[in-house]
Amino acid sequence: MIPQLVTVGYRGSRGRWRRLYVPVVPVVVVLSPLLLLAAAAGLVMCRVYGISPAGALCGAGRLVWALPGARFELDDGQFGLRMSIR
Amino acid sequence: MNEERRQVLEMLAEGKVTADEAERLINALEREQIESTSPAVARQKPRPKYLRVLVEDNSEQPSRINVRVPLQLLRAGVKLASLIPPRALTRVNAELDKAGVPIDLTQLRPQDLEELVEHLDDVTVDIDDPTSKVQVFCE
Repeated sequence: MIPQLVTVGYRGSRGRWRRLYVPVVPVVVVLSPLLLLAAAAGLVMCRVYGISPAGALCGAGRLVWALPGARFELDDGQFGLRMSIR
Repeated sequence: MNEERRQVLEMLAEGKVTADEAERLINALEREQIESTSPAVARQKPRPKYLRVLVEDNSEQPSRINVRVPLQLLRAGVKLASLIPPRALTRVNAELDKAGVPIDLTQLRPQDLEELVEHLDDVTVDIDDPTSKVQVFCE
């Protein structure tokens, strides 16, 4: 399943937690022209380095498909960062 | 000889059941006994889905790291790593050699890495120190 929501939380010097909810699909739609450019650049890089573009696309797709459920939390005294992908 | 089997044989001796019926009853009892003594067969352990890494540092400035990575992500990463062209691997090997790390990445096969990820299910690392604690496990 593709990621649906990325939640980013951070705690600054004041000690308050702030949370940011990023819906993946709308953001991808909005950034689609940039993503197309990035895909074209990726294709060129694959040709230059001799990597199969289909293989790279499949691999990247599998990576994105496996992202839901990933969670990262860092709490370092004053600074705190939390990220979860659902 | 257990109690249920004795009862079946007594019923056979008293003529309450035929020999065929007694045999079927005993077979059914044996099957029930096998299922109850081997719960691993009856209830398969669910496969772990995530790799968890927990690090707690209780020194002067306490810090905590909690990472949960889906095992599917590791498998996808391993498959992506198999796309690295041989030229790049040779270059990386040369750099590793220069740094004194005697690992030959060209000898690493995707199947080996896949097997490594498969067996990560059984890995549990638990380090408990007065100032820090590290736990790595699959859930």
